[in-house]
Amino acid sequence: MTSNDSPLAPKAPPDKLLLGPAAARLKGLGLTAGVVCLVIAIVWGVALGDDMRRFFHSYLFAFTYFLSFALGALFYVIIHHLVGATWSVTSRRLAEIVTGAFPALFVIMLGLAVPLLLGSKSLYLWMDHDVVASDHILHAKAGYLNAPFFAIRMLIYFAVWIGLSRYFMKGSVDQDQSGDPAISQRLRARSGPATIAYALTTAWAGFDLLMSLYPHWFSTIFGVYYFAGCAISVYCILALMSFALQRSGRLVSAISVEHYHDMGKMANAFTLFWAYIGFSQFMLIWAANIPEESTFFRPRMFTEWKWMSLALILLHFVVPFVGMMSRHVKRNPPFLAAWAVYMLMVHALDLFWIVMPAYSPDKMVVHPMDFLCLVGVGGLCLFGALAAAGNVKLLAVRDPRLEASLRFVNQ
Amino acid sequence: MEKDQVDMDPNRLLPAGSEDVFYGLVAEYDSPGSLVLAAEQVRDAGYEQWDSHSPFPVHGIDPAMGIRPTILPILVFAGGITGTALAILMQWWMNAWEWHWVASGKPYFSLPQQIPIAFELTVLLAGFTTFFGMWGLNKLPQVWHPLFKRDRFLRATNDGFFISVESKDPKFDRAATERLLRDAGATAIEEVHYTTSTDLRTVPRPILGFILATSVLAMVPFAFIAKWRTTHSTEPHHYIVPDMDFQVSRRPQSESSIFPDERASRTGVDGTVARGELRDDDHFYHGLVDGKWASTFPPQIELSERTIRRGQQRFTIYCTPCHGQAGQGNGMIQVRALAVGAAATGWVQPTNLVDTAAQANPTRQPHGQLFNTISNGIRTMPAYKSQIPEEDRWAIVMYLRALQRSRNASIEDVPPSKRPTIR
Repeated sequence: MTSNDSPLAPKAPPDKLLLGPAAARLKGLGLTAGVVCLVIAIVWGVALGDDMRRFFHSYLFAFTYFLSFALGALFYVIIHHLVGATWSVTSRRLAEIVTGAFPALFVIMLGLAVPLLLGSKSLYLWMDHDVVASDHILHAKAGYLNAPFFAIRMLIYFAVWIGLSRYFMKGSVDQDQSGDPAISQRLRARSGPATIAYALTTAWAGFDLLMSLYPHWFSTIFGVYYFAGCAISVYCILALMSFALQRSGRLVSAISVEHYHDMGKMANAFTLFWAYIGFSQFMLIWAANIPEESTFFRPRMFTEWKWMSLALILLHFVVPFVGMMSRHVKRNPPFLAAWAVYMLMVHALDLFWIVMPAYSPDKMVVHPMDFLCLVGVGGLCLFGALAAAGNVKLLAVRDPRLEASLRFVNQ
Repeated sequence: MEKDQVDMDPNRLLPAGSEDVFYGLVAEYDSPGSLVLAAEQVRDAGYEQWDSHSPFPVHGIDPAMGIRPTILPILVFAGGITGTALAILMQWWMNAWEWHWVASGKPYFSLPQQIPIAFELTVLLAGFTTFFGMWGLNKLPQVWHPLFKRDRFLRATNDGFFISVESKDPKFDRAATERLLRDAGATAIEEVHYTTSTDLRTVPRPILGFILATSVLAMVPFAFIAKWRTTHSTEPHHYIVPDMDFQVSRRPQSESSIFPDERASRTGVDGTVARGELRDDDHFYHGLVDGKWASTFPPQIELSERTIRRGQQRFTIYCTPCHGQAGQGNGMIQVRALAVGAAATGWVQPTNLVDTAAQANPTRQPHGQLFNTISNGIRTMPAYKSQIPEEDRWAIVMYLRALQRSRNASIEDVPPSKRPTIR
């Protein structure tokens, strides 16, 4: 039915809509934790004496993990405008705040790109000129896989991401003041091309950052695989943010159990999507079983890593897919928040499983460095997102579809 | 409203032995919003035997009616799990039990290749359970429902919004219920009657006949299949779809009544050569010079590193599976043959191409003989002339010469300037 003849009377939420002093505390916490942990990680990395290999792999793992949050949030915002969604109006501002982490992620990315430009061979095999010179495949790919072009591509990706996120954020915040419905129409019109730019840059970032760890290997679906993780993480982080904000007395009536229900549905659906894409990638390679494709799965099937592969199937798909299936779980915010924490943890496991066999193909090794980098990069992203958001409201208070979104029910 | 008055006459045209039954009241509302509000009032009044009717799903009607959550999701989940299990079981039975079938060298029972089928069957059975479960739980189809006797109610599939309350509800009271429905905003209220006569509730004979006939006809193909599966016949096949089974062309080595010698395969006409088939250069095509194995390369073949590189690449593709990267007769086929215990069944190792002490000793064979072996095969090695063009066969011979030289090299073969780098 249309929203106009609903019997449920619309009410503007009288909620607390600002972070206030909590923002400054969180920013300080994020910056301190970020700087301290990364400094310890760097010192530790130097002390390991492995030419910083462990540090860079942990750093890349942490970077791609938090990049997936921001990319997921950007996807959420663009898709919201593209399809003219109603239910996601009340949580869209939270996603926009998450996309504010892109400038911070850009600075963190420099920590990868600058050492590459200076010739560091610690992370990517294609940086080792001796290997490339004697390897037919790498030699042929050298025109694409080289430090300057890598850096240029990163600049392009971040230009697109920062540009898109700021554009959509600005339109949304402007509407808070003017309430002009034309802004919604303009953002919707721009969301089509934005989707294309987003899809291309996200897929290619997946190829460049993660797939090029294994430069002999290629999988055209890999970009989608990385995107699946991005999409899972945004619905989880939004459910978690909503839950935490409501616990602190903010957005109490703006985000209802109906909105949680939808976030849970999407997280559950993208869990299946992740398994679908991951299995599609695996099955073609497994069935064809040709050397240049199977190199990726060989360590993951026949060394210690196979336990993590099996754990991923079970913990990243079977358990959450069945566990989050029931509507009663999704309509219970504490349960859903717990599942969100769980999914964000196994999403980290997924990226760890992608990155770390490049560092150690035979042995499954977890190092304190991984956690230091996670906390460090995460802290800087938290600081960056809150600094970019400023004193913005937590709800798009004058969005034309806000009333309909507040009244939204699933049945 | 004259028609309504006639309809409400309990004695109207009733067949003998049947009686008119008062089903209940149906009230019309003008919008989905007022339908939801009215449903809340009927719910709060404590009615149980009632329903609301709208042309499309109305958001919020479930809580407004106080409907308990359906068990359908649980049924669908069970249907999905059944589909998964059934698919795995079916593929295990087909592939690993009833008929062993090797697909791309994978084990008979191999989970990854069964996942797509399992996925499809999960979706299929979950979908069926959703669809038919919904019908079953709602006791559909109900083509004789008393509500259909009211013309006004037919708009429930178009633009009408209705609430019906049955008279068998313990709370039902003709006047009080009507008042409740009217106060809730009804634009019209009508009584619904039906008759107990079974005559009026039988399926029309043509429809019954059609259903019966199609059901029987649908069994006919299965009956024939069952018969054909259990009987033998000396009659030729019935070709339902002959496609290209009967052709003027003949298979090789088969009979033909056209020619006097009754052979379908014909030799070339005397004195003619098919285009591109003039292979009169014995050296290049057969590795022969004056009837003996050639010890030189034919002039068409360029003696260069480029040719050797080409030969290396072709050797890697065609020869290494058996002879190994270094030509020592230890390729993957040999490794696997030993791994599965083929040695006990008379397995012969592929020839070591670089061993000067080998029985066949390919290092001493002339170029032409090696070329001939590649072309026509030897012992269990098949002929490769249909797969590898002459130029590439000669390139392989040239690479093999380089390989043999390198595997049996002495320090004198190394240029003096490079010798210090060898330890």
